[in-house]
Amino acid sequence: MANTVIGSSIVIDGEISGDEDLVIQGTVKGRVSLKQNVYVEESGVVEADVETNNIEISGQVTGNIVASDKVEITSGGRTVGDIKAPRILIADGAIFKGNVDMDV
Amino acid sequence: MSEPITIIGSETIVSGNLEGDEDLTIEGRVEGSISLSRTLTVEVGGVVRADINVRNAVISGVLVGNVEAQESVHITEQGRVVGDISSPRVILVDGSSFKGNIDMGDFDIEQEVPMRKATKSAPTPVTRKRTLDEPKEVEEVVVDEENKAVEAEAPAAVSRVRRAVPVRTTAASAAPPVNRPLPAKVPAKKEPPAPKVRSIGKKTKAKKKKA
Repeated sequence: MANTVIGSSIVIDGEISGDEDLVIQGTVKGRVSLKQNVYVEESGVVEADVETNNIEISGQVTGNIVASDKVEITSGGRTVGDIKAPRILIADGAIFKGNVDMDV
Repeated sequence: MSEPITIIGSETIVSGNLEGDEDLTIEGRVEGSISLSRTLTVEVGGVVRADINVRNAVISGVLVGNVEAQESVHITEQGRVVGDISSPRVILVDGSSFKGNIDMGDFDIEQEVPMRKATKSAPTPVTRKRTLDEPKEVEEVVVDEENKAVEAEAPAAVSRVRRAVPVRTTAASAAPPVNRPLPAKVPAKKEPPAPKVRSIGKKTKAKKKKA
């Protein structure tokens, strides 16, 4: 499967858009707009608004997230911003500050 | 039963203020406010329309109102919550519904990484109660270990499954014994320096792609 990986020493300042999975181990600032899955790994830092299908956060995300399916913050994940998604999972140990909207 | 427990049964409606120092289970309906120094459990079928101040809250029913918890708020698969939550630990599992604001306390996201590095030289004192500034690193260590452990057992496991396992386990087994009182020796032994953490991440990724 097609896959994009942003390595841990990479810093991107700008916009990322596309139609395949994105694994972020480095730093992304600006905007992320994807139709597939975003994985923010432990070393990953995202300072961007994110629009995607699924996102799984084990690193840091600062920004607003809109997901058409699911947002998952794992126990090592840290997120500040508003989340809008039909399914939102926050694991024990995860750190989150912001608004949650599941459209209930 | 040695522990005092209050249960509001499914056919009972309480309207007004509820205060106490024991566990409270709500299967019926409560409107007003709830203030407890122990654990509030809203069972499936329970409906609470109240502002809540408790130590722990486990919500499997319906809750409309603001929640302030000294320790944790757990919204289970059947839980439906509308309101703002303020608690150092907030757990939302898959299937739960929530609308509102979540505040886990003041933390500076930029300061997290240096703090992680500091762990190996000076392991955090293990405390049961989380102060938001301290035991985060400990939890991260747990994550690393769980991942490694699972990886070792089933290297070819699909990434989704492998990722799901530690999270579910942590949430479901009401993690305190696993998560918090981690012996101080573990960080010293297990947690590699920060650059290594990254490289481990890459290796993991590579394995996944091959698998």
